[in-house]
Amino acid sequence: MRRYAFWLWLLLAAGLLALAPLALNEYWMRVASSVLMWVAMAEALNIILGFAGYPAFGNGAFLGVGGYTVAVLMNHGVGFWPALAASVLVPGLIATAIGVPVLRLRGHYFAIATIGVNFALLSLIQNLGFTGGGSGLSVPLYPGSAEALSVMFFYLFAGLAVVSVVVTQLVRGSRLGYAIRAIQASEEAAAVMGINGTLYKVAAWVISAMLTGAAGGIYAYWNGYIEPVSMFDIVTSVKLFIMVLIGGAGTVVGPILGAVGIEVVSEYLWSTLGGLHLAVLGLIILLAGVFVPRGLLSLRFWRRRGRGRDGAPTNRTWGVDEGGGAS
Amino acid sequence: MTSLLEISRVSRDFGGVRALDDVSFSVAEGEMVGLIGPNGAGKTTLMNVICGLTRATEGAVVFAGSSLNNVRPNAINHLGIARTFQIPKPFVGMTVWENVLTASLFGGRRGRSADARRAAVERALEIVGLSPRARVAAESLNVAGRKRLELARALAMEPRLLLLDEVMAGLNLKEVEAVMGVVERVNGEGVTVLLIEHVMKAVMGLARRIVVLHHGQVLAEGTPEDVTRDPDVIAAYLGSGIAYEGQDAR
Repeated sequence: MRRYAFWLWLLLAAGLLALAPLALNEYWMRVASSVLMWVAMAEALNIILGFAGYPAFGNGAFLGVGGYTVAVLMNHGVGFWPALAASVLVPGLIATAIGVPVLRLRGHYFAIATIGVNFALLSLIQNLGFTGGGSGLSVPLYPGSAEALSVMFFYLFAGLAVVSVVVTQLVRGSRLGYAIRAIQASEEAAAVMGINGTLYKVAAWVISAMLTGAAGGIYAYWNGYIEPVSMFDIVTSVKLFIMVLIGGAGTVVGPILGAVGIEVVSEYLWSTLGGLHLAVLGLIILLAGVFVPRGLLSLRFWRRRGRGRDGAPTNRTWGVDEGGGAS
Repeated sequence: MTSLLEISRVSRDFGGVRALDDVSFSVAEGEMVGLIGPNGAGKTTLMNVICGLTRATEGAVVFAGSSLNNVRPNAINHLGIARTFQIPKPFVGMTVWENVLTASLFGGRRGRSADARRAAVERALEIVGLSPRARVAAESLNVAGRKRLELARALAMEPRLLLLDEVMAGLNLKEVEAVMGVVERVNGEGVTVLLIEHVMKAVMGLARRIVVLHHGQVLAEGTPEDVTRDPDVIAAYLGSGIAYEGQDAR
């Protein structure tokens, strides 16, 4: 039974998401779409950060790459769906190319290198003619009514969020998942046990980049206009990091909780406190970091007892790992 | 006997420090060789060179006829070399069973069937006595348990050559004897073993040939009896009294 718990919860969540447009008004549809986009991106970051233990601090760059892929292609007459497919592939290719050298670095050095990648891509986009340079790029408008637009993008982001969560769950129990979790624990031990570190680290980052790129692709079409400084804003990466860490890195559910929590709370604070909302949000994040350093999912509230078949600790899915391990 | 592992004129520099200096010896197929030496003698560095985590500055390591120079650790492992770490490196976040499974699924010679890999997990856990604890989190094991886990992961890869880096350090006498039994059994099944050990009793009782490293050089080589009588070896260990203790082992 416990084995199927994830899929039952997922089915329930997908059902609620499918019905949500009936219950939500225009404003909340927009908020929900944005929350789902963050869920997809946080889960994508979780694959490289939470499972492989590589702090990809510039992962937001793939949002920009995905967004610009869709914007440029659609401006050249390509339809949205093929453009969206390209916004998955292009970040994947970039992650493959830069992953091989950059994933040799560890810890802070890797984090700094990924920030460098973010700024290099920003500067490239700003200086290439076909990207519209620093002034940004308009994307052809969605042809339907405002209501149809809101429903369609809600479903697109919901679909992407579900795909992200499913991919994370599948990666976790896969050969790739075991390899990157071993790499996180000890890269030397993994290597002498026959694990090809470069291969699996790059694979993990490529999956992460592709999911983040898709989010950027959908966002570009949704927003109708993109500009380099906001698409490659380092704050995107910072926010993703906070979501993953506050929710619970290396778990499937944690990043969902982190993304929804941060987005909903910051939306609420913004609507009630206005300009002060960032200060209060910062305080909340600080307190969470101090009192729940291993993420919301490490709280006893969520704890489930028992272990699954074959010695696999099912409760690890819920973010609980007994004993003080790096997680 | 043909030699399975051939270490010829291996040196390794770390900055200005020569950790290994012109080290040569060989290990025959099926043999169990002990590698001893005072702290800082270069034992672990040599092990790192063999398994590919450290590159030799000079010299060559040849395993079963193929050179290991510039071969990556994972590829060296696939040739049939498994090692343990002096400071255990369990995969935290996984159970004991998952740790051993990960080693068996990825490690060892290519071409082992999936069934063989799974069977090797159960067998390795059984040999080291961790079967009853298979489902606990790896990080909940104590030192002795972690050392056993190191051994189980290495055994699950069904290596031709097993490199053991102080698997008995930090264990009590009873635990040492249990691990000695395991090592003896594995060697009896035909696995070649290179045993780095500080616990002299264990090395003297297990290995029929000993190589002594000191300041990165091979100081002596021979049977346990020869080595413990060697004046150079006694001088290198002088004051510690360890060399003497070894003589009345088993």
